[in-house]
Amino acid sequence: MEWIIKNGFVYDPLNNVKGEKMDIAIKNGKIVSLSQVNEREAKVVDASGMVVMAGGVDIHSHIAGPKVNAGRIMRPEDHYKVYMRIMGNVRRSGSGRTTPSTNIIGYKYARMGWTTVIEPATPPLKTRHTHEELDDIPIIDKACFPLLDSNWFILNYLEKGEIEKCAAFIAWILKAIKGYAIKLVDPGSAEAWGWGKGVGLHCDEPIPGYNLTPLDIVKGLCKVNQILNLPHPIHVHCNRLGFPGNYTCTLETMDSVSGLAKNGLPSIHITHVQFTGYTGESWASVGSGGEEIAKYVNNNKHVTLDLGQVVFGEATTMTADAPFEFTLYHLSPGKWSNADVEVETSAGIVPYKYKRKNYVNTVQWTIGLEIALLVKDPWRVFMTTDHPNAGPFTKYPTVIGWLVSRKAREKTMETVNKRGLRKSALPTIDREYDLYEITILTRASPAKILGLEKEKGHLGVGADADVAIYNINPEKIDLSKDYKELVKAFKRAAYTFKNGELVVKDGEIVKHTYGKTYYVNCRIPSDLEKLVVDDVKAKFKEWYSVSLNNYVIGDEEIRSLKPLEVESSLK
Amino acid sequence: MFTFTLITGRTLEQGRNLEIGKFSKGYLNSVAVCEMAKEDMEKLGIKDGSNVKVKTAYGEVVVKAVTSASTTPGIIFIPMGAWANMVVNPNSQGSGMPTLKGIPATVEPTSEQVSALEDLISMFHKKPIKIDFSQISPPSSTSTASGEYNFKDVVCCFCGCVCDDLEVVVKDSTIKSVKNACAIGMAKLLNYNNERVYKPMIRKNGKLVEVSLEEAIEAAANILVNAKYPILYGWSSTSNEAMRLGVRLAELVGGVVDNTSVICHGPTVLGTQQVGVVTATLGQIRNRADLIIFWGCNPLHAHPRHTVRYSAMAKGWFIKGRKERKIIIVDVRPSPTSRIADLFIQVKPGRDYELITALRMAIKDHTIEAEEVAGVPRDKILQMADMLRSAKFGVLFFGMGLTMTTGKGRNIEEAIKLVQDLNEWTKFVILPMRGHFNVAGTNAVMAWLTGFPYAIDLSLGYPRHNPGLTSSTDILIRGDADAALIIASDPASHFPQQAIENLTRIPVIVIDPRWSLTSTIADVIIPTAFVGIEVDGVVYRMDGVPLKAKSIVKPPPGILSDEEVLKMNIKKVEEKKFGG
Repeated sequence: MEWIIKNGFVYDPLNNVKGEKMDIAIKNGKIVSLSQVNEREAKVVDASGMVVMAGGVDIHSHIAGPKVNAGRIMRPEDHYKVYMRIMGNVRRSGSGRTTPSTNIIGYKYARMGWTTVIEPATPPLKTRHTHEELDDIPIIDKACFPLLDSNWFILNYLEKGEIEKCAAFIAWILKAIKGYAIKLVDPGSAEAWGWGKGVGLHCDEPIPGYNLTPLDIVKGLCKVNQILNLPHPIHVHCNRLGFPGNYTCTLETMDSVSGLAKNGLPSIHITHVQFTGYTGESWASVGSGGEEIAKYVNNNKHVTLDLGQVVFGEATTMTADAPFEFTLYHLSPGKWSNADVEVETSAGIVPYKYKRKNYVNTVQWTIGLEIALLVKDPWRVFMTTDHPNAGPFTKYPTVIGWLVSRKAREKTMETVNKRGLRKSALPTIDREYDLYEITILTRASPAKILGLEKEKGHLGVGADADVAIYNINPEKIDLSKDYKELVKAFKRAAYTFKNGELVVKDGEIVKHTYGKTYYVNCRIPSDLEKLVVDDVKAKFKEWYSVSLNNYVIGDEEIRSLKPLEVESSLK
Repeated sequence: MFTFTLITGRTLEQGRNLEIGKFSKGYLNSVAVCEMAKEDMEKLGIKDGSNVKVKTAYGEVVVKAVTSASTTPGIIFIPMGAWANMVVNPNSQGSGMPTLKGIPATVEPTSEQVSALEDLISMFHKKPIKIDFSQISPPSSTSTASGEYNFKDVVCCFCGCVCDDLEVVVKDSTIKSVKNACAIGMAKLLNYNNERVYKPMIRKNGKLVEVSLEEAIEAAANILVNAKYPILYGWSSTSNEAMRLGVRLAELVGGVVDNTSVICHGPTVLGTQQVGVVTATLGQIRNRADLIIFWGCNPLHAHPRHTVRYSAMAKGWFIKGRKERKIIIVDVRPSPTSRIADLFIQVKPGRDYELITALRMAIKDHTIEAEEVAGVPRDKILQMADMLRSAKFGVLFFGMGLTMTTGKGRNIEEAIKLVQDLNEWTKFVILPMRGHFNVAGTNAVMAWLTGFPYAIDLSLGYPRHNPGLTSSTDILIRGDADAALIIASDPASHFPQQAIENLTRIPVIVIDPRWSLTSTIADVIIPTAFVGIEVDGVVYRMDGVPLKAKSIVKPPPGILSDEEVLKMNIKKVEEKKFGG
């Protein structure tokens, strides 16, 4: 099928296109030059007066896996009122607001014009489950990041200083469970939590049973990442998440790897930085550490971060930071779930509601926006709500509204806790993102930081034909004043293409398809691989309750697997 | 005037004989029995091994009275199965779970005979087919793979333990020997061809007639498409791949999709829906737990390798073995597992909720004024509470003793809260002992595809969940379903008789490798292959760990997997609904 998207205002930062009127041609699932397409036979989309960009790329959203599913099961109330009906042979049914079922996830992302989403935290032992759920999410392309910071093999290698063996192990495990990047969550805390400890673990505090601190783990895995030449930097959820005063931990974590940047590429990605951006000594005095964090990021090019922006209303907190969830269960009594995974990691789930009039929730709300507006380089900041922790992904258009319009922010600020506002610089910030910067934040830069910029996040020749067309006219709209129109346009895309197929038209699903799953296949010297596999075989039976052969996930188990081939620097 | 409390549940022999064959004498002899205390038998003049009639407010049944060391005066135990289901209480009190334990009963000697399995349901609307197994033989195949193969790390597909260390020798396409399996796993692997169905069949004029697969699929699709409120039930003994298709099929026909957890750990879901759940994988428990509670479960019979592989006796990384652990057993009778206990707590039937509440109070040093709670002396409760608080890592394993008895989901809610409370003191987790090898998987699949883990009504085009209303047990007991697809399960053997009666009034499709009691009242039978023996399939262990069970022998000619059969059904239904 061939398509020509005619006459739209194209925003393509990776190719320096800033709203020029251009035609985009699609053939065999890829963007091609116009000359490649038979103009008489091709189907046409008249995108006059509309904005055209690559499909959105979300680098951090909890969409699949055992803890996501545990969230669904423990929250039937989240599914009674929000649902989608089966529609003929086109659309399937589902339910859920903050813990949506798989069909809803795919459909609602596609309806907003998003086409690639990363599940950022999967426990290796249960990652077969994560892939099954990812496979049942329609339309979008996806990948998952294995949780590695409390893995016994890794902790042992790091403690002994065996960085090369650690790197070889990580190359092995990424291949074994089809993972994409190294994920750290409150590094080391999951191992402490195996004994019920680890609440509020400090960056420089030794982990029970090991001669290692969380920062040792961060530095070690950062070195491993460089050695392996992985496409994405280490993806870090800092220690002491959710504790007043924790912004210092974030700064220390970022600083710990400042000397490790290579080739001008970032060496660390701090995720949902809002949650680890608090000043103050207690909840009564908690404030925004946004300015301090933004200052550090402006002065240090080795860091990227995503926001974890709070949106008022219902949320479900779910994270591998199990000790933190135990704390939240006490702060916000209600339901609490926990699931330890032997040898590797843990997870906690606590339903939560962000309230406008709540002092702490207001402070939290200001932080993400503050950082996004104070960081000067839009290529190192990504928009997320850490779905569903700070809010559901369906609220992305609202967040975009806040970024492009000071008026939108002021409108919300009228409704929130006034004392909380005083703890943040947000009310004083005038800056407004333009559409080009929004495109960077939501497509171009996430694709780049994932190492997928060849085929994602842009509309140049050779890119996957993942295209979003929004019904807003940049020549006629004043984003600052008319942000509501922008929000409306982003809520329901006029058209969404996935791999060259039209999947959304006028904000409705018109086709049910399945995307591909990326993983990283990092090549290491075979003798080193054998050494590490022998280590794994020796300890597996003593540590794990399953056989090594059954731990490894076969290629044939995943619907459409796409490896990213990477060459390590190991000799 | 009822003098006994009836409980039902698993036994090792019931499990083993189930795999050897449901229509076998061995099965009848191990399941159509009533375990009674010696003193009670003497009082009533009942000889060990003689027949008795057990009566409840809900029915009566003739079974053989036997005694054992696991009995206690006042309680009678009938293994789960169609005989027990003649007398259980069908009321689920809005939970979806009938009352399968704690039913008041009388027992009297009788000269009547024990009914054969299919005769138990012969008084209902549709006459069950009597199967002549001597007439059934496997089809001869044109080629049999020869040679001897030694399979290692085989994933066992019987119970929720999903042991993945089995070694199976296959010679000339037949399983010759099995290492590392328990008695029940072994029984399955060596007997899976017993009572097998080899050809699709349709019921015509009270007889089952062999038909082509296409004809059977067409008949099944017609039944489903023409139904207003079909139920698609079972699933727990097949793969995730099949379950994912099952949800699609249910959505297409606007039916209710439900799995066996409705009569097993459905109440555990209900408890989790109230308060969450604090748990860990089995390896974490094996490595670290120094205090293990088995509450209302009998792992030595129902999960035979559990204590050796994952819990009481297992060798862990930090905790090296039995000597470094304390075991507490809570049960209404001295179950076979209770002999491994350091502390055995005998609780009065139906009073577990009070005992758990008392423990929660004791943990927090609240004063318990009663000298005895739920039949347990206060001192013992305080002793147990101290053991729980002093543990370094405690785990509460529980089973039907909590889910099936008075309180149902509320019992589990309270047990989870006890564990949540204990986390103030020390590390503690809770884990349900899941029955079927993939009930956890089918719950997970239903949850990610619909938002709910079982009892999902799709009749309005979107998922709705309200156990008690949308649970297949209650739907059948009320007589609201007008068709049923039964797959990888045998509800005729395990649902209360009131549900079976209504099942015989509606068209029934059965998809199963073997003959079951449900097959005898089916209108369409489609035989399929065994997951983990003949076809691959992903299954989830009781702790959610996902494993891929692999095929080690080929299925008989013409026998497809559940996956393939469901795909054909879906295609047929789509054609009928949306046109070719």
